[in-house]
Order: sequence, then structure tokens, then C-alpha cells
Amino acid sequence: MVRLLNFFCVAFMGLSILALYHVSEATRVARVELERTNHQIAETRGHISVLQTEWERVAGPARIQQLAELQGMSDTTSVQLSSFDQLPRRGEDTAPLGNTPLHNASAVVPSRPAPATDSGM
Amino acid sequence: MGLIPRRIIIGAGLCVVAFALVGIRLVDVTLMQGGVAASVSGRVIAARADLTDRNGELLARDLPVKDLYARPRVLWDKAQAARDLARVTGADMRRLDNGFNTARHPYVLVARQLTPDQQDSVMHLGLPGLEFEPSAKRYYPDGRTAAQLLGVTDADNNGVSGLELGLNEKLHSQAGSQVATSIDKRVQYILAHETESARQMFTARAAGGVVMDVNSGEIIAMISVPDFDPNQRRLGAGDSTRNVMAQDVYELGSVFKIFSFALGFEDKTMHLDEVFPIGQGFRIGKYTIHEAEHMPATLQARDILAQSSNIGTSQIALRSGGVRQRAFLQKIGLLGPIRSELPEMARPLYPRANWGAIETATVGFGQGISVSPLSFVAAAASMVNGGRRITPTFLKQAPGADNRKEQVIRPDTSEQMRDLLRYVVTNGTGRKADIPGYDVGGKTGSAQVPGPNGRYIPHALRTSFISIFPVHKPRYILFVLLDQPHGTKETGGFALAGYTAAPLAGKVISRIAPLLGVPNTAPPVKLARGNS
Repeated sequence: MVRLLNFFCVAFMGLSILALYHVSEATRVARVELERTNHQIAETRGHISVLQTEWERVAGPARIQQLAELQGMSDTTSVQLSSFDQLPRRGEDTAPLGNTPLHNASAVVPSRPAPATDSGM
Repeated sequence: MGLIPRRIIIGAGLCVVAFALVGIRLVDVTLMQGGVAASVSGRVIAARADLTDRNGELLARDLPVKDLYARPRVLWDKAQAARDLARVTGADMRRLDNGFNTARHPYVLVARQLTPDQQDSVMHLGLPGLEFEPSAKRYYPDGRTAAQLLGVTDADNNGVSGLELGLNEKLHSQAGSQVATSIDKRVQYILAHETESARQMFTARAAGGVVMDVNSGEIIAMISVPDFDPNQRRLGAGDSTRNVMAQDVYELGSVFKIFSFALGFEDKTMHLDEVFPIGQGFRIGKYTIHEAEHMPATLQARDILAQSSNIGTSQIALRSGGVRQRAFLQKIGLLGPIRSELPEMARPLYPRANWGAIETATVGFGQGISVSPLSFVAAAASMVNGGRRITPTFLKQAPGADNRKEQVIRPDTSEQMRDLLRYVVTNGTGRKADIPGYDVGGKTGSAQVPGPNGRYIPHALRTSFISIFPVHKPRYILFVLLDQPHGTKETGGFALAGYTAAPLAGKVISRIAPLLGVPNTAPPVKLARGNS
């Protein structure tokens, strides 16, 4: 009985060694594969980083202005630009664009026309 | 019988322990170490964090490059290898030749920061004993646009100037992530473009500009020309690494008059309707103060600022006196260097020993005191933001952040100053900065330029314009500076600030105000007409 038990134990140990060796090999191969994949990921991220930087360069304000000038586009005067929250609501003719305190603020200081010269030393 | 089961139990126990150890090791190898390896090798090699603008647009990034090393022992023909490597990498051939023949170490550095094209060229040489080491190279997509502001790094990826130096530790500690600056790339470009255009038009020696949020202190844009290409290691002809807005101090001239008026309001020594005698000259001891342009015999206080009268401003400054003036300038931070994330700063120059009547008068109209433009902008912002001190910052703040500190002038004084600056633009020397739809307030400054011998250079001017918009609820302050501009046919030969700096400020504001979401107050009827 004891011998049989010993035999099974030893056999089980032998099988376990084989199984562990298999797992170990599989792990080693998987690690190599993982390292290669990680390397590829790092390389791809590097390429993405370069492409993002290249995009920032070609889509930068300087390039856009250059292209706009090539197409004969000119700067829009500031008075033609506004934002949605500045647009009057339905039923409001001018407000808030026309008669806001901001717009009329220039009249706060009484005006007295004078020549546009700067006399700083 | 009793002993046998005990041995078996002990043997079985040992087996369990052995299997448990193997199991733990398996878990350690497969899960723990594997995870660490994955996280390490998954990163892009970056020594420093990216620098971005306030909208997340890239300003500076480490790009993956390779350093090339050679093992001289395995090179067949060292002289030929040195020639070939020098040709494709740009390295010094003599250094390589010398290094290959007298190398004490197994490896010799051939070249650093090789681009992918250069790496391909090296590979095509087919030389043995070459090894590439991953490295990083700092790249600035916008090139010259923010060169002095961002600064550069050295070959070891340490900051040597600008924000690269000022934020060096932060950029190193956050490598692989991003650090958001307060800069708006669009505004930076517009300011750079318009300032360089003005510099060329007026053939000025140098020029610069700053845009700052008056409540948060965020610097939205800062430029200095001539500039340089931060992606090249060498400076080209006419290039300069100097940031004139932070590193240099200037006598700014008449823009300084706003402080004399603010002090006058604070001390209640004058009111806007008061009439001051101007005349042909104003004697203080053995000195006589003159106007640069012809002035009427008398001027109201508001027109002293609008017409930029030196004599009128001197009288206003003298009413407060030198002691009070000095304390006031100290209080608003103009008598010390300004501290920010930017390492470049300059100490102001002012009369330290004797601050008498003549010094009070000249400082009152911006001569005899030299400050950096950045210090001036911060002090001017505190005059219009409700009267509270503000320190510039180059790091992005939370939306709507209010970083204003202690009160330096009363809120009602600040309100009077805003009205007065608007008056200068509508009725005075700053008319060319009056942009339809945006209520701009501002002040011109045309200062004399001291030469190397300390005397003022005849006919040389340094012109500037400080502007705020929208004037009655200020959000942004813009300061532009032109060093020794020349008049043109369009300006009638005049090079004063009203003809050079004010139009420049107007152009910049008309382009950046819509981008910054400043309310457009132009009436709709005008809008419709413009569109037709």
C-alpha cells in the first residue's frame, strides 16, 4: 500500500516536473513575444509622436496663414466677427450687441478733440 | 504503524511546500515581472514632459532619436569608417579618426540625436561594430514663434533658457506627460507676425509684445524679435536669443505717465477738469523740462494724459512728491525684479541715492527710470483690474481664475484710470488703436534712447503702447514695443508711438480679440453693412 502510494507520489512529481517545464517554456516564449510586442508598441508610439508633432507643424497658425494668403484670402475685419452668445435673441432687435453699457462706455469721459501727437520725451 | 503515516505526512507536507514555492515563483515570473516589463517597455523614451499651450496644442516635445556609438576594435578600416560616418552623420572626421585610433574605452560616441534618415544612411554603410542607443531630441513645431519664451535644452535634455529652464524640474518629473502653459498658440502667432511686420515696416532694431490676463495673471503671449530657430543648434545672421520683454530694462517714456495720474487720483491732488499751465518750459532748479511737440498754453488734466504733456505730468507728480512717488512705485512692484516661471528677469534702474524734485518730475513721465516691459505690464494691469496687485504666470490656471492679490490703488481710482485710458484712445495720441467693436483703452510712449556714453541718441526713439480691452470690464492687457523705429511715407516721416506702436496694437487687438472671446460691441446695423 505504502509502495503504491510512494509510486504515485513519485509519478505525480515527475508529471508535475514535466508540466512545470512546459509552463516555464511557454512563459519564456510568451515573454519574448511580449517584449517584441512592447517594442513594437513603443516604436508605434514613437511614430505617432512624430506624426503628431508633424501635424502640429503643418496645421500651425503660420502654415494656415501662408495657405490662406496663397488662396488670396484676406483678414476679416473684427466687426464682422462675433460669437453665438453675442447674437440677439428672437424678438430683441439690437440687444445685447447694440446698446450695451460696454458699447456706450466710450462716451463716459467728455471728449475734446485734439491732434494725435505724442509728446513724450 | 503509527510511525509510517507520520513519515508519509511529513513527506507529503514537504511536497506541498515545494509545490507551493514553485507556484509562488510561477505567479511571480508570469504576473509580477511580466507586468513590470510591459509597463517599462511600453513607454516612449522621453526625458521631459511635453509643453502645450492653454488649449492643449503642442509647443515642445521630445522626439525619439538615436545616439550612434562605434566599437573601434571591430572596424576593419578605421580611417575609411571615420570618413564615411562623418559624411552621413555630420560628425567631425578628425575627432572620429582620432577617437578610433586612440580609444581607451571600447565605445566611441560618433553622433548624437540622429534622425531616422541619418540612421538609414548609417545602416547603408554596412559597417560592423555600430550600435544605436535610444535617445530624445527636443522639437518645437512652431519654430521661431515662441523661441525666447520657450527657450531651449542642451544635448543632455536639460533646460538652458526660457520656460525649458524655468520649468526644468517639473518637466523632468512629469516626463511622458504634458505641462500646460498659459500661452495661446494662435495669439502668440498673431502677436509675432504683426510685431515682425511692424519691425520690418519701421526698420526697428528690435520689437516685442506681451498679452496678459489682468485677473489671472496668465501670460497669453510674449514675443521678442529678432528671434532664433530653436530647432537648430546654431544662430543665423541677425538672430538673437535675448528676450527683450523680460531680460532688458528700458526707460519707457510716456506710458509711465499712467502711474503719475493714478498716484494723483490716490492722493486726490488733482481732478480731471483742473487746468494746468503748460507754456514753453517748466523750470526745476537748473533744469528745464520741455515738450517734444508744441502744446497749448494750458491743458485740462485729462488732456495732459491724452496729449502726453511732460510739463503737465511733472506738475502732477510733484504734487505727490518724491517720497510718495517712490513708495507708490515700490508698492506696485516696479522697483524690484519681477518673479515668475521665466528665469530671465532684470533689475530695474532708478535714482537710488537722490530722488529729488527733478527726479520726481522725470520719473513721472517715464525717463530716468528703467524697468523691464514684463514688470511694467504687471504694474499697469493692477491699475485697471480694480486696483489689485497681479503677478504674471506662464502656467495655465483654472478657467476664470482670480489671482489678484492685495489692493494697491482704490477701486474708484482704477475706474478713473480706465475712463482716462479710453479717452486717450478716442481723443488723444492712441487713436490709431481704436478698433471698431472693441472698446480699447491705452497710452502711447515715445522715449528717448540712451547711447553707450549715457547721453540720449539724437532722434532715436523707443516707442510703445499699453492697451486694455474691453476697457470698462478689462480682461486683457497688451503691450507692444518698438526699439528705434523710423518714420515712413505713410506716417509722414513720424516715428512717434501714435504712428508706430499704436497702429501695431490696433492690428493685434483686431485679430486676437475675437479669438479670445472678447464681446464685440459693434451695433448690428454696422455688422450687416459690413457683410453686404
